[in-house]
Amino acid sequence: MINTTKNFVKLKTFKVFNFRNVYRSCSTEASLNNTNEEENATQEGFKKSFAEYRHIYPEFLPDPEVKLRNVIREKLERKDMIARRSQIAIPEFYVGSILSVTTSDPHSPGKSETFVGICIKREGCGLRAKFILRNVIDHEGIEVLYEMYDPTIQKIKVLRLEKRLDDELLYLRDALPEYSTFDPNMEPELLVEGAPVPVNSLKVKLKPRPWVDRWERKNLQGVQDIDLPERFWVKAAKVATPWEKYDLMKIYKKTIPAEEQRKYTMKSNHNCKS
Amino acid sequence: MNQADVSKLVSKLNIKVNPRLRKFRSPQGPEGRLDKLRKTVTALFKHERIELNYPRADEARMYAERLISDAIRYGDCHKSTMEMADYWLVEKQIVHKLFKVLVPRFQDYGISYTKLYRAPKRPIPEDQYEKAVLELRGNPYPPLLHGTHNNKNLIHNILLEEAKKAYRAKKCAEIAAKIDAVEEKTKSDKPVDHCTQ
Repeated sequence: MINTTKNFVKLKTFKVFNFRNVYRSCSTEASLNNTNEEENATQEGFKKSFAEYRHIYPEFLPDPEVKLRNVIREKLERKDMIARRSQIAIPEFYVGSILSVTTSDPHSPGKSETFVGICIKREGCGLRAKFILRNVIDHEGIEVLYEMYDPTIQKIKVLRLEKRLDDELLYLRDALPEYSTFDPNMEPELLVEGAPVPVNSLKVKLKPRPWVDRWERKNLQGVQDIDLPERFWVKAAKVATPWEKYDLMKIYKKTIPAEEQRKYTMKSNHNCKS
Repeated sequence: MNQADVSKLVSKLNIKVNPRLRKFRSPQGPEGRLDKLRKTVTALFKHERIELNYPRADEARMYAERLISDAIRYGDCHKSTMEMADYWLVEKQIVHKLFKVLVPRFQDYGISYTKLYRAPKRPIPEDQYEKAVLELRGNPYPPLLHGTHNNKNLIHNILLEEAKKAYRAKKCAEIAAKIDAVEEKTKSDKPVDHCTQ
């Protein structure tokens, strides 16, 4: 209790990087705002708001795999990430959001290349955070894997901020092309400040097999009824592991505990101020 | 490199977490493993102190701690916590005990909710497995280990001992002074007696 109060006081006296305000509006420049929000917030509310940041910046949390942890490397990486974020705005986005990414490309006429697509996966932590964008261009599915902190990225813009029903949308590879076709000249859609991120409950239709994966075994929410012979469902039921969601320690080992998360958020905040 | 799962928020456990989970061979496979642990966790919550084989005790301890910490963090109105308690506690009256007895008991604990002791092996050649005693803190039974309050080398016991000595010395001095006074009195009285004779 004493420790948290100390951190609270320390933060109050410094300028606070209000990521949410800066990046929701998709501005190209990150700026330091000194807001009164944190000062007014009660300590409980303050704790809660910090817990919510994990959805916006999952890559700031360290690797849950204990073998791959290294405190010094994590600290240096966080510092580099903050430094990169002070150069370009990396906005808040989720799997299912539509993004436009501009990268440097020495071979293109304007020395830069822009790709618009739907984010189908986010992975990796620290400086190795990546995301995959997918679009269908000239009747061909295109996917680009971007490293989030790649210095050749010039601009990341969120055109539509929304979530889908699943954590990964890799099944769009086997869905009809209309579900992953997006206009490259799309205008950004604005959201009301402070509004919750909308969840798009669209259910896509898969093409007939063969697929890149056995989607019938993945318990997908965002897919229309899959038409498959009975034997596929029998096999899927056989290999299903419905008890795994009750394995408390497996869940624990995949996450970073709340107390630790708070510590890392505090540290990265401190780094960005100094 | 993996990204941490952010869909769930859990409390940090105050015990050492094993880097790898034990398998507990079972004909039912991984589901059988959880069934075994469920029985142990239910028994622990019911009896508050149990004696069993060490590996099972060590494994069940982590699950018991997780269950209590989730119950404290989310309370009994949280759907997934309730589902979890319903799965882990085989006897349903123990679910009430978890939320009504154990949560208030452990709410302000900054330490682990359970204790694990190594117990001696059984004196029969067939059962030479490592044994352990697993208990909930704050249970109603007498403590398993000797209390340390009788240890004469503890600082407060040393100080008390010295204080006792000083008190005794003071009392002895007082008694000696009294005796001296009486003796002096008798000495000074004696010549008077002699004169009267």
